[in-house]
Amino acid sequence: MAQKTEISQELFTKAVVDKDEREHIARPNLTAFQDGWLRLKKNKAAVVSLAILVVIILLAVFGPIFSKYTFYDTDYLHTYNGPSATHLFGTDQFGRDQWARIWQGTRISLLIAVAAAFIDLFIGVTFGAVSALFGGKVDAVMQRIIEILVGIPQLIIVILLMMVMPAGIWTIVVALSITGWVNMARLVRAQILKLKNQEFVLAARVLGTGNREIILKHLIPNTVGVIVINAMFTIPSAIFTEAFLSFIGIGLAEPQASLGVLINNGYQVLQNFPFLLIFPAVVIVLIMVCFSILGDGLRDALDPRMRQ
Amino acid sequence: MFKYICKRIVYLLITLLIIVTTTFFLMKQLPGTPFDAERFNLLSAAQQAQFLEKYGLNDPVIVQYGKYIGNVFRGDFGTSFFYTGQPVSGVIMGRIGPSALIGLQAILIGLSVGLILGIIAAWRHNSGIDYFTMVVAVLGVSVPNFVAAALLQYYVGLKWGVLPVAFWQSWKSSILPSVALSFGVTAMIARFMRTEMLDVLEQDYIVTARAKGLNQFKVLMRHAVRNSIIPVVTILGPIVVNLLTGSLAVENIYSIPGIGSLFVDSIKTNDYSTIMGITIFYSAFYIFVVMVVDILYSVIDPRIRLASGGKGE
Amino acid sequence: MKKSKLLALILAASMVLATSGCGFTGTASSTAASGPAQSESTTKTSDGTITVYDTNEIRTMVQWAASDNNSFTILNNVSEGLYRLNEKHEPEPALAESYKVSDDKLTYTFTLRDGLKWSNGTALTAKDFVFSWLKQMSTDATNGYSFIMTDYIVNGAEYLDNKAKAEDVGIKALDDKTLEVKLKQPTPYFVRLTVLPMFFPLNEEYVKSQGANYGLKADNMIYCGPYTLATYDPASGSTLKKNDSYWDAANVKVSNVNVRIIKEQATALNAYKSGELSRVTLSSSDVPAMKSNAEFSSTSEFRTTYLQFNTTDKVVSNKNIRLALGYAMDRKTLADVILADGSAPATGLIANGMFGDGSKTFRELNSDITTFDAAKAKEYWEKGVKELGSAPAITLLTEDDSVTKTVATYIQGEFKKNLGIDVKIDSKTKKAKNQLMDDNNYQMAITAWGADYDDAMTYMDLWTNGTPYRGNYKSETYNSLIADAKKQTDDAKRLQDMLTAEKTLVADDAVVSPLFYRGFAYLTKPNVVNLVTHPFGPPIEFKYASLK
Repeated sequence: MAQKTEISQELFTKAVVDKDEREHIARPNLTAFQDGWLRLKKNKAAVVSLAILVVIILLAVFGPIFSKYTFYDTDYLHTYNGPSATHLFGTDQFGRDQWARIWQGTRISLLIAVAAAFIDLFIGVTFGAVSALFGGKVDAVMQRIIEILVGIPQLIIVILLMMVMPAGIWTIVVALSITGWVNMARLVRAQILKLKNQEFVLAARVLGTGNREIILKHLIPNTVGVIVINAMFTIPSAIFTEAFLSFIGIGLAEPQASLGVLINNGYQVLQNFPFLLIFPAVVIVLIMVCFSILGDGLRDALDPRMRQ
Repeated sequence: MFKYICKRIVYLLITLLIIVTTTFFLMKQLPGTPFDAERFNLLSAAQQAQFLEKYGLNDPVIVQYGKYIGNVFRGDFGTSFFYTGQPVSGVIMGRIGPSALIGLQAILIGLSVGLILGIIAAWRHNSGIDYFTMVVAVLGVSVPNFVAAALLQYYVGLKWGVLPVAFWQSWKSSILPSVALSFGVTAMIARFMRTEMLDVLEQDYIVTARAKGLNQFKVLMRHAVRNSIIPVVTILGPIVVNLLTGSLAVENIYSIPGIGSLFVDSIKTNDYSTIMGITIFYSAFYIFVVMVVDILYSVIDPRIRLASGGKGE
Repeated sequence: MKKSKLLALILAASMVLATSGCGFTGTASSTAASGPAQSESTTKTSDGTITVYDTNEIRTMVQWAASDNNSFTILNNVSEGLYRLNEKHEPEPALAESYKVSDDKLTYTFTLRDGLKWSNGTALTAKDFVFSWLKQMSTDATNGYSFIMTDYIVNGAEYLDNKAKAEDVGIKALDDKTLEVKLKQPTPYFVRLTVLPMFFPLNEEYVKSQGANYGLKADNMIYCGPYTLATYDPASGSTLKKNDSYWDAANVKVSNVNVRIIKEQATALNAYKSGELSRVTLSSSDVPAMKSNAEFSSTSEFRTTYLQFNTTDKVVSNKNIRLALGYAMDRKTLADVILADGSAPATGLIANGMFGDGSKTFRELNSDITTFDAAKAKEYWEKGVKELGSAPAITLLTEDDSVTKTVATYIQGEFKKNLGIDVKIDSKTKKAKNQLMDDNNYQMAITAWGADYDDAMTYMDLWTNGTPYRGNYKSETYNSLIADAKKQTDDAKRLQDMLTAEKTLVADDAVVSPLFYRGFAYLTKPNVVNLVTHPFGPPIEFKYASLK
């Protein structure tokens, strides 16, 4: 016989709907960067690269101390000496210790690299993102600005800068910031043009997300691959632009040196004293390899699509 | 599309005019005169006056500008100061050829090698060829092209004697400089292609295409490459302009009478008419290529619409 | 849908092709245009061809516009003056057979050789000299070399200022073969001037018929030198062919000459090693490895690089400071170790080997007036600092070429070592540097001057005008010495004036501090004989060269 079950009102209690609980995400809420860092740590190659970069930075800061020579002491009895125990990286035309000069130069080149990357990221990415997202007239005007900046010969601007600003690292940074970010802006713009009509952006719009949020939270994270790669190309080109500018007198004055300047000088004597080119070149390549692997790691770590 | 192109051509002309105007007035601020200062000071007052008169340098800058623009519309780019009496158009035309040939070859090499390396590297992610591509890319970008050019010249030209060491004599002379210039292009294209491909290969439509049983090659070509090529196309624009208009270092190393060295020299010697001539040529070319690239976007990816505003869509 | 996409793709592709196509057609036509040059340049040095190079473009072939060494080299070999420098750099009769000087040393009468001809068959006469020299003394001349005639020739300056007619100028063709030149003052080195390109003849009829095109291409010129110009491209060089109508053609042994433009030192060396060049100039880093090579030689030019002090500057207006800086530089190490390219340490302003009294050189007569003495330097420095009240900050202005920068770096180190001071180096482009100097906006600068002709006056004249570029040097003593030397009929007295003037400028007033005389270290292919390089004027002489 079927028992009749009484379901009385009393059996029910009204559940308290906790608004916070309803939307609770069990996984700890990480910002994109915390999340990225966690995943970067799992990437061995990236960690090794980071470690090497840290070593290079330490050498750039403390390297000159390990030599009893300074980067400017001349010694005309020991010019163009090959690498030896006294001069680990040999000496240059003036008998100056290359070890001290290379680490001194690394310091300056890293500074340039950081400055170039910042210019790229801040001006370039913002410019490109805004231009693409707003589209229409805004895009047209912003793209014409880029064309004008690229069209006016850089060397003219640089020489004029040289007349009004004192030679030095900040003048170089100013010179770099005039057009150093243009490629980045164009790349980001192209990527966002591609992305902005995709579903996730439309969804965000439907939800009433503002332009700023859309750029920062949705579009740029999805463009990170291109951004990282392009930053990698900007950095060495900035380092060599610095060398060129230093040569025409806008950058560093002797006896200061940067890796770019050392490579330029080493290139002049390549056939007779190749070590003067090889050591600074190896440092630059090492920096770039590490940046590159780290950049790839960063891309994997930051790209929301790679999230598992 | 047609309307869009017309609009862009109007923009092109306006932008060009702004560039020309700005450059003209900035250029006049450059220190020094187009003449060798030590020699010019040795001219008598009458000689100086006649000299300046001949080149129209006595007028106020604004008048010089007006005259210059007028002449340009009539197709007259003036005569060079540095190469006394030679017409600028002739000087530039004589120098474009070598630069363009080398640049074009470098782009062809860089584009084909770069695309192939990038595609394979992404397709076989974390394989030997992937690492090889990374190495090529890093070396290509961190070893400056003048070092590559010098090494190629020394080994291929001098030690092995396979190709000419320098000079612009025959097509053979153009091989080494093209190769030297192509490393950077290869590096950039391979790197961008690989990154984008890696992204695209994980997208649902690729998985779908594979699941449908489409053959791998078709998936790669029809879906993956086309969806990954936007950054390459973007970056290719400026590369094309830069390479076709010459590279100072490589031209100097191979003693090639190209336009890269002419441009730098003209600025260093205040050769006003040559500076303006090259600026016009260079910017017009740049703007045109950017326009073509913009049009290519919507051809490659129909989702991209340039002509209309973005907000409402 | 599909079709329209395809169409758009084709359209875009064709646009890309069109852009690249533009460049390519340009190539095709330009290669075709330089076709003749190609076949020429493939001939190696052993086939009766000498190939040399210059680091700069050939700016012009118009002799009244030419002022650079490379243009001079070509002009000197495709044309000729009354006299030509011989293998020992002394003038010897060229288009002129001989000359006579009047007793007052003011009238020179040159007699031309018989049967001189231009390369187009026209006879070359004394009138061609008159036309050319008047052109050089007119407002048309833009090379800044008019002074080299107007300073000497009667009414030349007045003609230039439009105050005298052509007939009044002291140059006349007495007949087709006789040229008479009247000078304002005795000029012992006048014949030595006639070897310079400004003094070469020009055919009036031909030049006028070419108008503005004269000298723009090889076809727009006629020639009277040992060679004719076969091709001329400012950027890639020129090719020269033996001139069969040259009066001394029998003694011109090499039938083809290429002059190329190579801007990179390493490129030139590689080209030399691969047999594409007959001679290569070495950079200092190459010298140690090459010194023992049989092909090695070196030469020094009449060109002095010096430190110019600005005498109106707060700091270096102090003479003790200037003397201290001058004494603090070891020029021997600079020349032998740092430059190591055949450059010689400066011991005075006038370069080694320049004309003195005929038996001894100027330098030998006025020996070491510039020396290195660290102790004296320190002494003067302390004296100077005391007078100024505090140790001053000094900036050294230089040009941005690599040799000058090397020199600047070296002397910066010397000042640090010997005076204990940090001198700042300000390197600028050539134009910017000259502008700063002209604007009187510098303390001291590295500057150089190459002799126009073989006499000390080519240097000494520069400091008489007191311009900022020359350090605002205004000295009664110095100016009167130079003025006297210009008028002097007695060669010995004139020489004495010049010797004293150099001492005044360099040692007593210390307005300039000479650093070194530029030299060249080079390799020459063993089969090339007698390829002469002159220390001044037109640098390379092909006429005397031969191939083994």
